[in-house]
Amino acid sequence: MSGGFPEALQFSFAAWVNRLVDWLVLHYGDHLRSISDQLLQLLVGLENLLRLLPWWLLLLLVGLLAWHASRSLARALVLPLLLALIGMLGLWDKLLQTLALVLVSTGLCVLVGVPLGILLATRPLARRLILPVLDVMQTLPAFVYLIPVLMLFGLGKVPAVFATLIYALPPLVRLTDLGLAQIDPSLLQAAHGLGASRWQRLRRIALPLALPSIMAGLNQSVMMALSMVVVASMIGARGLGEDVLAGIQTLNVGQGVEAGLAIVALAMVIDRISQAYGRPGR
Amino acid sequence: MKKVPTLLASLLLAFGLASTDSAAAADQPAPIHFGAIGWESGALTTEILRLIVEHGYGYPTDTLPGSTVSMEVALARNDLQVIAEEWAGRSPAWVKAEQAGQVFALGDTVKNAEEGWWVPAYVIKGDSARNLKPLAPDLRSVDDLKRYPQVFDDPEAPGKGRFLNSPSGWTSETVNSQKLKAYGLDGLYNNFRSGSGAALDAEIGSAIRRGQPVLFYYWSPTPLMGRYDLVRLEEPAFDATAWATLTDAANPNPKGSRSLPAKLSIGVSKAFRDAHPELVAVFEKVDLPIATLNKALARMSETRQPPREAALAFLRDNPTVWKAWLPAENAAKVEAGL
Repeated sequence: MSGGFPEALQFSFAAWVNRLVDWLVLHYGDHLRSISDQLLQLLVGLENLLRLLPWWLLLLLVGLLAWHASRSLARALVLPLLLALIGMLGLWDKLLQTLALVLVSTGLCVLVGVPLGILLATRPLARRLILPVLDVMQTLPAFVYLIPVLMLFGLGKVPAVFATLIYALPPLVRLTDLGLAQIDPSLLQAAHGLGASRWQRLRRIALPLALPSIMAGLNQSVMMALSMVVVASMIGARGLGEDVLAGIQTLNVGQGVEAGLAIVALAMVIDRISQAYGRPGR
Repeated sequence: MKKVPTLLASLLLAFGLASTDSAAAADQPAPIHFGAIGWESGALTTEILRLIVEHGYGYPTDTLPGSTVSMEVALARNDLQVIAEEWAGRSPAWVKAEQAGQVFALGDTVKNAEEGWWVPAYVIKGDSARNLKPLAPDLRSVDDLKRYPQVFDDPEAPGKGRFLNSPSGWTSETVNSQKLKAYGLDGLYNNFRSGSGAALDAEIGSAIRRGQPVLFYYWSPTPLMGRYDLVRLEEPAFDATAWATLTDAANPNPKGSRSLPAKLSIGVSKAFRDAHPELVAVFEKVDLPIATLNKALARMSETRQPPREAALAFLRDNPTVWKAWLPAENAAKVEAGL
């Protein structure tokens, strides 16, 4: 069964991990749940705020936002239309739940990811330590860490945000790092010579020059956050993923396709608006 | 019923395949392929049947991983020959294949298999050893739940209780949602879909370990039933017309009833049924007593025993159970192989 590998050298740390998880649940479970309840309030609050808006007002807001971002009338018409299509499929409420989840996760991604990328680009030690962690985050199968997170933080939206954050963060960090690394060092030296402080060099020169790369990272993060929606529904976070999951489970291909395309439409709307805001020289 | 979500199932089953002994199939052609079921009772039953087929009849066997739906489709195409635990009539894919005569459900493997709503016993009786107070001392039936929504508080919907429904896409999800309406609980309890079997188990396990109240849908035979002291809430007696209103998601006025007693069978492909009448005869007689099975499952899950070892232990410990299924000479061969 174990192949040719000598048995004397084999070991398993599974029992140790199991005991650790048990111990954490017993001693810190209640405490961590009260923390997760606070994050949950934020999510539910945002969701309820979205629900308060009448559907046409939300579409109008999206249209205005699209126009403000891109100054393109076509885009300002097409993007709300895509959302309206989701509503016509009867998925409006699920759309709002998914939107709240994705907005909170990508917001956290930007808050954590961009500073981390800057750290990576400026500190070689941090780079050596963080890069392998990013590899783990991208390849470790989600359920391996999800089940313990779920036992500690409860079922539903909070572990879903954690899962999305872990999965969608690495591209933003990597591309921020890449964008900063590609800046011509003579520009920064010139700024230094003119007396610009570290912060000024970062804020006025490095970040604007790295922006296209950072925005490409954000695009990847948004796409990956939306692809995690189905996994999120497997741990009790409601939304569009729920319909995809139910469609798969019952061999209802049509239902799965409807909800799947709704996820694609939502991804396009978020992406086009955020990318338009990130375009240099807007 | 038992639909482990596709992604999770393939994950679990990939582990299952890695640990499955495939050496038996190496030299002989065309082994009998069993579906590698991911949930515990299915995995144990699969290994019990494989041991009987291998040792008692000398056929090589192998397992192939897949989600429930994909295994059912594979069975209809004879890519798989046996699914050891099939919850009859619950899956549209199965019903279609059965009507087309491509698959057959053999026997009634676990009598008194049931599903319903459970709470841990300490919610009702308390637990002095763990210093837990009885939070719902008069909770007996689903009607009593009306008095205790605050006990099962849902942080996502403050003021309401949380009812942990089954994973999305199971037939029981519809039934439970209709039951909430039928018992007048839909305004008091949040109908919380747990998404996947693993998530449901993790949430219940975590709540029980922390001594917190939890109200959930569950089913038997399962390790959970053998492992913890749980109380099933009483429901009105089974009634066929009421049951029809519960299974129809579009019915606005569902009536309360216990769930239809679950029938578990062994699913086989048409080609297998034609080729192996002697095995069909055995499968039809398979009868696993639910209490023994729940205990074996609890031990398997607690000690994290591989299903193959658990099946060996089960056959060694309970010879009277399985010797009744097969002719004496084959039974002797199985016994020699243990």
